[in-house]
Amino acid sequence: MAVQAFSAQPVKPTREEHDMTAAISVPDGATVEELRAAWWEADHGADARPFWTEVGRRFVANKAGVAALVFLLLLTSSAVFAPWIVRADPLVGVATDRLLPPFSPGHLLGTDEQGREMLARLVYGGRLSLATGFVPTAFATFIGTCIGVWAGYKRGISGTILMRTMDMLYAFPAILLAIAIGASLGAGALNSMIAVTIVFIPPIARIAESATRQVAIQEYLEASRLSGAGTLRILRTQVLPNVANQILVYASGLVGVAMLIAAGLSFLGLGSQPPTPEWGYMLNSLRDTIYSAPLLTVLPGLMIFLTSVAFNTASDALREAMDMRLA
Amino acid sequence: MNARRPVLLDLRDLSKSFTARVGLRSAKVSAVDGVSLALRQGGTLGVVGESGCGKSTLARLVVGLIAPDAGEVVFDGTRMPAGQKRPRRVVRDMQMVFQDPHSALNPRATIGEAVGFPLRVQGTPRREVSERVDEVLTQVGLHGNYRSYYPHQLSGGQRQRVNIARALALRPKLVVLDESVSALDKSIQAQILDLLRTLQDTYDLTYLFISHDLNVVEYMSDEVAVMYLGHVVETCSAHDLYRRPLHPYTKVLLASIPKIDPRQRSTERNLASGEIPSPIDPPSGCRFRTRCPFATDHCSAVRPEPVEVEPGHWVACHLYPSPGTVVEPPRRLDATY
Amino acid sequence: MVSLIIRRAAMTLPILFGVTIIVFLLMMVLPGDPAQSFLAEDATAAERDRIRAELGLDRPLPIQYATWLADTVRADFGFSPFRRRSVSSLLAQAWWNTAVLAAASAVVGLAGGVLLGTAAALRRGRLLDKVISFVALTGLSVPSFFIAVVLLIVFSANLGWLPSAGTGMDQGFGTFLKHLVMPMIAGSLGTLAITARVTRASVIDTYGADFVQTLRAKGMSQSQLLGHVAKNAISPVLTTSGLQIGNLLGGAVLIETIFRWPGIGTLVYNAITSRDLLVVQGATLVIALTFVLMNLIVDVAQATIDPRLRQAVH
Repeated sequence: MAVQAFSAQPVKPTREEHDMTAAISVPDGATVEELRAAWWEADHGADARPFWTEVGRRFVANKAGVAALVFLLLLTSSAVFAPWIVRADPLVGVATDRLLPPFSPGHLLGTDEQGREMLARLVYGGRLSLATGFVPTAFATFIGTCIGVWAGYKRGISGTILMRTMDMLYAFPAILLAIAIGASLGAGALNSMIAVTIVFIPPIARIAESATRQVAIQEYLEASRLSGAGTLRILRTQVLPNVANQILVYASGLVGVAMLIAAGLSFLGLGSQPPTPEWGYMLNSLRDTIYSAPLLTVLPGLMIFLTSVAFNTASDALREAMDMRLA
Repeated sequence: MNARRPVLLDLRDLSKSFTARVGLRSAKVSAVDGVSLALRQGGTLGVVGESGCGKSTLARLVVGLIAPDAGEVVFDGTRMPAGQKRPRRVVRDMQMVFQDPHSALNPRATIGEAVGFPLRVQGTPRREVSERVDEVLTQVGLHGNYRSYYPHQLSGGQRQRVNIARALALRPKLVVLDESVSALDKSIQAQILDLLRTLQDTYDLTYLFISHDLNVVEYMSDEVAVMYLGHVVETCSAHDLYRRPLHPYTKVLLASIPKIDPRQRSTERNLASGEIPSPIDPPSGCRFRTRCPFATDHCSAVRPEPVEVEPGHWVACHLYPSPGTVVEPPRRLDATY
Repeated sequence: MVSLIIRRAAMTLPILFGVTIIVFLLMMVLPGDPAQSFLAEDATAAERDRIRAELGLDRPLPIQYATWLADTVRADFGFSPFRRRSVSSLLAQAWWNTAVLAAASAVVGLAGGVLLGTAAALRRGRLLDKVISFVALTGLSVPSFFIAVVLLIVFSANLGWLPSAGTGMDQGFGTFLKHLVMPMIAGSLGTLAITARVTRASVIDTYGADFVQTLRAKGMSQSQLLGHVAKNAISPVLTTSGLQIGNLLGGAVLIETIFRWPGIGTLVYNAITSRDLLVVQGATLVIALTFVLMNLIVDVAQATIDPRLRQAVH
């Protein structure tokens, strides 16, 4: 009876354990020809979708994620096609129309301290602001992946030196490091993107290194070495495809952060230079008008905030969609 | 039956130790120590022992995934260069089937890519790769259209057949099978073993068959080597291993197999006491002496050399002192069998 | 305990060393000539060379670094030509102001985060949990300088309740608190959000653990149980709090600028505008050192609470 009590829970084979070959019945002492025939008979193949189809299906099921993605797509396309969306020039203002409140006739969102139309500046400003989110993340992902994969696969002296250097960069608060790099490079949109790129390389290299270490102990890696493949070929065909997802998920969460840091840099005067519109810089230049036109000051900050929320939500959704034990 | 065929693989005094970190200190772990074995063309040599005895290290030494500290691997009459890339011909002639069907296939590569990978690395034209992949998949009983599947869409048994197909793709002479059926259910094990045997007969393959499972080793092998903590303690034909085990450790291994018939069950308990010792600082002399009921001072002082006690039956144990003199195994143990 | 502190401290030494190298390289190797800040716009090449020689910029890099490190260890960060004061005296004063603000933000952010996170975990799936989780996600995404500006608009510009600039330290404690409230809230919001998320996850995780089931089965009361859970759930919270201190210190640059709080952040902002690189260098180093030391303290605290971490080498 005691035994009964312990086995009360029905044992149900999981998908992993369910073995198709187990279903066939072959008499003992059957020839291999008979065995093969039985295997062919029983083999209908599993009905599974490709990985990215499945991820897409699960992402679409997440309403918040889809909404965030749609918002980001709209924002990106409005920034790209800005000249077709707003007619006003974002760089030239009318001196007599300074600091008009939102919903003024002819200026849907009002005008800034130089009489330039806010709507135009916000739409055009999205170009640089979104770029400061994507570009540094993309470059840092590329460089960090190279460093991390190399260090994780090769280990040795080169790997140790690379990773210890990353640790040292990691000892700085992210924003501070970006400010310090930005300050020594000098102001400018390009320099601020370089600064953010450098700041993001260490965390991505760490993720890539630990993911690579996990792959490096798998038997399929030994199998590929056994085939006589060289290091670069192994990294390209065996390691990269298996670490890419982890890095991708992590990097997607950094786009919003990159934009925040870059906005902070422009806020300090280290980012884009006047008169080029950029949300962080706009927030700073409108700071003195909080007493006279508070609503105008809030607008660029609101754009940064909404975009950042959208990036974080979309990244969360992607993480959930990709989190499945397929392999 | 293969007695007159040429030796394909000759291991001479192979040793390998690893450096492990214990706290802040590093220690030497002796994984394989002075192993000499020979394997004839078309035959199967089984290597058996508990986990941690150095079987897998031996397999990787043979195929060249790791370089030996001492000793040499002679394959097909050629000495393998230690620590360097092996010649292409040898890479093609020596392949391995790994233990874990889940970890041995790249989850992001299709079956076709996985099986074709060794061929492409070796520079086979694309057209031929495709034909060969179809061919080997058929040989292991898989439809050619499985080439577009990913490993997670396959069952464990199917995956292990894909691993075998990948090993066969280059038409090797020697296949090292490292615990290749251990992760499978018993019923599928039998199917895979039958497949391996048929493939061996058809393509004149030579197997180095490594397993902890005595039954499986006996079924597959012509000759068997028993390993304990990096040493080979006994080598004999598969037939003799079951019927005339000589080394005390082999007897322990055999006694640990569960018997269905209660009358055959061992009445002796504690043949060997204690756990397998740590390979860090292994016992001096005979490494089994810490668990051996017959251990003497001599055992801790001198490492026993292999002795041919009967024709083709080698034992490394001080209980069997000199060649030619057949010593009856100790009576207390013999009662078990 | 003492040996634990010594061992952890020894492990931070190479990191401290690396931090000094990076700070040095940032200022010396990247384009941007430190001599520039000592020169007039129309300075001749000869004048420039003279200044460069005076600052030792013509010597090989390793020697420059060694000299600089020797000076730095003696707390000599150079002289600011704009402020006409030594950088270390500027930093000493500013560091104290930043420390007060960061500590206040840390207390509010960490305590509030733990409180909200625990509340959300205990009311998991209910309305309170959903509200707190939403607030946390928002807090995570909102730039602190935006919150600062909104606070200024509402409480200073419109309501006129709170002062918009300065510390008010010399005008009594009450005035100081009034000055502190807004920068503290703006600075702590990110920390609050992250801490709440981590605490919630950790508490829920710990409640599901087997040992909690055992304690329940033994008939332990809810409040006693919470004590056991708290002790086990605190570790991940401490880990993130170490990182959060970095965010607080780094974010201070932005917050302080907006509220004209005379801390290191404001110092850095003004130094950037006037390209006073020695001040930026000194400030970066001081904040990074503070961050490393705070992490050391968190690390030791964590090892004291969680015996599993005491054995770990790394």
